[in-house]
Amino acid sequence: MTRPLEVQGLGYELPGKGKRETGKGRVLVQDVSFTVGAGETLVLLGRSGSGKTTTLKLINRLLEPTAGEVRIAGERARDVPPTRLRRRIGYVIQEVGLFPHFTVARNVGLVPRLEGWDPARIAARVRELLAVVGLDPDTYAPRRPHQLSGGQRQRVGVARALAADPPLLLLDEPFGALDPITRVELQREFQALQQRLGQAMVFVTHDVREGLMLATRIGLMQHGGLAFLGTPQEFRESEHPECKAFMAAA
Amino acid sequence: MGGGGRWRAVQGGACALAMVASLAAGCRSRDRIVVGSKNFTESDLLGEIVAQQIERRTGLAVSRRFHLGGTFVCHQAITAGQIDLYVEYTGTAFTAVLKHAPVADRDSVYRVVAGDYARRFGLVWGKPFGFDNTFAITVRRRDATRYGLTRISDLARLAPRWKAGFGYEFLERADGFRGLASVYGLRFASPPIAMDLGLTYRALAEGKVDVIAGNSTDGQIQALDLVVLEDDRHYFPPYEAAPVIRQATLARDERLGAALAQLAGRISDTEMRRLNALADVEHQDIATVARDWLNHNVP
Amino acid sequence: MQGVHGGSVSLWGFYARNSGEVLGLVGQHLSLVASSTAIAIVVGVPGGIVLTRRPAWRGPVLGLANVFQTIPSLALFGFLIPLPFIGGIGATTAIVALVVYALLPIVRNTYTGIAGVDPAVREAGRGMGMTDWQLLTQVELPLALGVILAGVRVATVVSVGTATIAAAIGAGGLGVYIFRGVAVVDDTLILAGALPAALMALAADALFGLAERQFAWRAE
Repeated sequence: MTRPLEVQGLGYELPGKGKRETGKGRVLVQDVSFTVGAGETLVLLGRSGSGKTTTLKLINRLLEPTAGEVRIAGERARDVPPTRLRRRIGYVIQEVGLFPHFTVARNVGLVPRLEGWDPARIAARVRELLAVVGLDPDTYAPRRPHQLSGGQRQRVGVARALAADPPLLLLDEPFGALDPITRVELQREFQALQQRLGQAMVFVTHDVREGLMLATRIGLMQHGGLAFLGTPQEFRESEHPECKAFMAAA
Repeated sequence: MGGGGRWRAVQGGACALAMVASLAAGCRSRDRIVVGSKNFTESDLLGEIVAQQIERRTGLAVSRRFHLGGTFVCHQAITAGQIDLYVEYTGTAFTAVLKHAPVADRDSVYRVVAGDYARRFGLVWGKPFGFDNTFAITVRRRDATRYGLTRISDLARLAPRWKAGFGYEFLERADGFRGLASVYGLRFASPPIAMDLGLTYRALAEGKVDVIAGNSTDGQIQALDLVVLEDDRHYFPPYEAAPVIRQATLARDERLGAALAQLAGRISDTEMRRLNALADVEHQDIATVARDWLNHNVP
Repeated sequence: MQGVHGGSVSLWGFYARNSGEVLGLVGQHLSLVASSTAIAIVVGVPGGIVLTRRPAWRGPVLGLANVFQTIPSLALFGFLIPLPFIGGIGATTAIVALVVYALLPIVRNTYTGIAGVDPAVREAGRGMGMTDWQLLTQVELPLALGVILAGVRVATVVSVGTATIAAAIGAGGLGVYIFRGVAVVDDTLILAGALPAALMALAADALFGLAERQFAWRAE
């Protein structure tokens, strides 16, 4: 059976700038390979500028890979129109990016509506998902984003990403902008959610504790490449200098 | 986002400031003779001729405030003392300023105008230059040929199908459009299009309008192949151009009167048309045209 | 200073006696402003949208619109008159000139309104699979609408004023009264044209201001 996400030799190079002799531009991601199975969470860990967010964006083609291949459920990402590809991938970002002029319900139901679902089905799905992320549907569905706290907004962001029941979820430091207490709260709830849902997830973070807590496997990125790929336990015991540096900060 | 609107407000403010400043400047130059003119080429030309004549015959300093506005603006300016002299037309003074009903005899028009201006406004009329610049009801040559138009009366049958275009002063004046339409029975389908006088020739030539009221001595009439219709019912009074000067200014220097008198009767209709064409059609500089003319015609 | 032509006739008497003509001129004026603003919106809003998609064009396009803005209105009318099709005496030339003046506020505000949308919103929309068109029509334009309307408001108010100059080139409108009044130094005539024009500008400002507040996206 094909895995939800297979990444092979992925690379991203900026055009133009860089050394004239080699003819290369600046390489942000180089030769990254991993797979993620259903129900598994791959945490991409790394310092700022290590290429983890770039890698994430190469998966849903917000950036176009200059090398390598991405396969979603066996299909080559390159062969699918980007828009259709992205509707099958849930996307959660740090700033959340809820549409301020939509209600919570309309925000959550965005992709189902784009896909032409029946309104009754959308409404039911919205209620279901709001409950799953811990927001009472009757209270929160009609509200607007500016009426919500930061933590509530990100809950809505996660619900929105799950709305069309995608096989793959991409999360880019989703709890990074929250205060420490709310962050811990959401991490715990997210952990519970992981076990309930069957999605494959790629979770980008620079917080090693968060990574250790939520990962099925950790991919440590350094200078655009994968320095380590393994379970959290393997990460803890690893002799790799970058792993040790992160463990020291844990 | 007020960039566009705010910039226009600044422009408006700057314009207003400039106007106030120039008005103030005008009031201060009491030792100079201030010569004004109306807002068309012939008036500017005559004003320049008068100004240069004063300079060469009396040595007095002259300030020019040309292209001021229409008849009424100049009249206001001279009665208020903001200008000392400008060239006016007898018929215009007679009907538009003094509000008399039009009369055909040029001598009686001149006598009444000279007398009334002296009594009511303290203004003195010099002797006329020698030409008559009446309103020229003008049409395109091909229309004149096609419909056999030679007199204004001939227009009456075409008016309902035609469009007229006039300058603002002609529309407003008592001796202008209203009187003309009533005397000649002209009923246009829609009211005349109003525009800046200078544009009416172009509008006629381009077919935007079919009849205009130009000036009989305009240089553009020949250049654009237009035809002037005869005023067969003698609706328009004579319009003889002459310098009008404030009594107080005239009294300042006795050489002024003599200098102005030298210009009397020196410009015929044809000559005025030639000078206008030099300025309007050949775009020669007005000061040059005036100087050349003076050197050739006035000792 | 007393006007030679006497301003002793009351303004209301003037309106009462010339109601047909007044309404006609008001109608002409409204028509000049409405048609030019409509054209400026049809050209300017898509233009502003294009600028958000092609940032390299922004400098030249906005710069050009800015230059047009600095041309005095009477001069622009003068430049346009000799041109074929869009020139000549009359309403066409006036409308072209009014469109030129209305473009800058509308294009610039469309650009600013859309560019001002939170980048996170745009990224989230794209990331979830919205096409550029869907993003534009469902997110960017609704959020930018208030700012765009502000631009339309400025353009309209300016147009009402500039349209009075159109009377100099035979385009009609309330400027006809103003020019006639200036020609014969009649304050009543001047006011007869200037007052309705001023009221029209105020009304446009108020109406669009209302629309702006209605549609403007208010953040917390």
